[in-house]
Amino acid sequence: MKIYIGIDVGSVSTNVVAMNQNYNVIFKEYIRTNGQPLDSVKKGLKMLEKNLDHSFDSVVGVGTTGSGRQLAGIMVGADIVKNEITAHASATIQFHPDVRTIFEIGGQDSKIIIIKDKMVVDFSMNTVCAAGTGSFLDHQAERLGVPIQEFGDLALTAKKDVRIAGRCTVFAESDMIAKQQYGFSKAEIIKGLCDALVRNYINNLGRGKNLEPPFIFQGGVAANKGIKAAFEKEIGHEVIIPQHYNVMGAIGAAILAREYIEKTGQKTKFRGFGAADFDFSPTSIECGACANSCEVIKVDLNGKTVAMWGDKCGKWTNSLVG
Amino acid sequence: MKVSFPYMGCVTGYKKILEMLGHEVIMPQKPTQKTIDLGVKYSPEFICFPFKVMMGTYIEAVQRGAEVIISSGGHGPCRAGLYGEVHEKILKHMGYDVQVIIFDSIFRDFGTFYTHLKKVRNGASLIKLIKDIRFAFQIICRMDEIEKKIKILRAYELNRGDFNRAWVEIQKLYDKCWTQQDLEKASKIAHQMINDIPIRKVKDDERIRVGIVGEIYVIMESSVNMNIEQNLNNMGVEVENVQYISDWVKHNTRGFFGSSKAEQMIGKARRFVKMNCGGHDMENIGWMVDFKERGFDAVIHLMPFGCLPELITQSAIPTISKELKLPILSLSLDEQMGTANNQTRIEAFIDLVRNLKSAPKTEVKEIEDEVWNAKLLKQELAG
Ligand code: SF4
Ligand code: SF4
Repeated sequence: MKIYIGIDVGSVSTNVVAMNQNYNVIFKEYIRTNGQPLDSVKKGLKMLEKNLDHSFDSVVGVGTTGSGRQLAGIMVGADIVKNEITAHASATIQFHPDVRTIFEIGGQDSKIIIIKDKMVVDFSMNTVCAAGTGSFLDHQAERLGVPIQEFGDLALTAKKDVRIAGRCTVFAESDMIAKQQYGFSKAEIIKGLCDALVRNYINNLGRGKNLEPPFIFQGGVAANKGIKAAFEKEIGHEVIIPQHYNVMGAIGAAILAREYIEKTGQKTKFRGFGAADFDFSPTSIECGACANSCEVIKVDLNGKTVAMWGDKCGKWTNSLVG
Repeated sequence: MKVSFPYMGCVTGYKKILEMLGHEVIMPQKPTQKTIDLGVKYSPEFICFPFKVMMGTYIEAVQRGAEVIISSGGHGPCRAGLYGEVHEKILKHMGYDVQVIIFDSIFRDFGTFYTHLKKVRNGASLIKLIKDIRFAFQIICRMDEIEKKIKILRAYELNRGDFNRAWVEIQKLYDKCWTQQDLEKASKIAHQMINDIPIRKVKDDERIRVGIVGEIYVIMESSVNMNIEQNLNNMGVEVENVQYISDWVKHNTRGFFGSSKAEQMIGKARRFVKMNCGGHDMENIGWMVDFKERGFDAVIHLMPFGCLPELITQSAIPTISKELKLPILSLSLDEQMGTANNQTRIEAFIDLVRNLKSAPKTEVKEIEDEVWNAKLLKQELAG
């Protein structure tokens, strides 16, 4: 069996998947990044190797995505390094070819991707405000003393609607406290929060876009039934949650790696599972050669410099041959 | 007088004219992180991003001895019109004895323009001044021409950095020009240098061409726009930027050097917006139409966070994009920007553009979702 590996390094979680030739996901792991992206990748690879226990012949392609895609790509020897938007869309299109709208809500950011004829035609991404992301929910769950896992189910038990101002986290918080004092139950408040998040998300990201079914909802937050229900109410249509909703980015990276390998006929640049034990050290140096004072990222692998970037003039980037 | 000016794109032309008038020029430095930090520290918090960067540039120039700063003013309801006065106030407040001279449009207020001119003229005759300006303007036009060419060809460069290295040399060449002969010679060498750089050959239908529009400062100054042109070129995308100093000068001195491109652009924008809101908003919308007409594949719109005129452009983008069938990406920039996120947007956008281009052309019928929009509006009103 030949496998493709996809790695999605985000600020909250690092996801690693392995996919076989029939696009079946045979391994997936969701690891907390905890500010240590490289360690999480190493950990993920080790788990993959152990879990599959030589049940496959070879790794034929590797792709990375997510905010840490570049560094992770160099470390593992990725064949393709892709942005999250393209990666997410590729995975969804693979499993739901008729998809028209993707809602993706992760820990730190959220996106809407519009698809037509299996192609991304528009997208938007929220990063400025936390109110439309998973951390907003985590935070509020903590305030209310409800474990985030139970959050969604609790929301579904609400009997009444309560409107919570969801424009911004700070307002939502004070409004939530006020509503609690009015005597609304926890379940109702939670449902109110889910509604607020979805409303806020659609207002911010869906502005000026035609959102059409089928709707696919993915990202870590898709596990939350309350949010799914809120989406369905908001748009008045069924929302589908894909089987691998929380690792779609990584799957997309694996698919893109496969496409790339098949198109170019190249052999994978994967450094092997030993990569996890390599001495891999990224450092940043401040170049003082001109007034730009660029912060140049230098990556050493086993004592040899393998990549450099961040220079405005190309002086360092070009100093590497091959 | 020790004179300096804001750093915005290529500054050789500015320098030239001041030198020809016998001033000592304190060359402003390309904004760095330090410049931005400095500017942010001494600017009002809610002022526009370009103001802050210019503030930093001025402080650095003054610290290096500049006594006079020459800048351009703006007009209309947007804050650009106040830049100079406020900059001067802040600098004075910091204890620097420096004057900020604003050159407004010659034709709007010739009186003030003339008084300013007298100060800068350094006793030179009006004839000499006009000659000098014309010469400097020619240099600017020639350099703009080369820069435009570089932003196209650099997308295909074989050895990374070739074009940038050449551009550094070319700037030096033009800097040494004092006569018409010098200029002709420099231009010839410069074009030769550019033509000699080895590039990858691509089929015509594989070329991806992207136009850049937006607020003038952020689209012209690479240090505040994540070096977007280089960035796109690195992805193999050709770039055309709408703002060049030569265009800007032409716009503010129309009648002097012929009719202005900006006016034509405003004409093209009429079908989307009715009036100009202070900056280059209408012009930018016009440019989008123009790019489409010239067969470009996409447009990227850059604006400082919270820029009023460009917010107007931005809000018109979904309609424009749909009607013109032209992908448009709008990015907001400021001192707090996370470059990583904008980088993701740019990469995803270019993927989108490439895919659209290679896809078989099928007309997809558009379903107007009035109901949806009405619902959104209702929610917005409700908060
Ligand atoms: S890397 Fe290049 S642009 Fe950056 S500070 Fe060094 S010499 Fe200047
Ligand atoms: S054009 Fe925009 S950034 Fe410039 S002064 Fe006006 S509002 Fe500010």
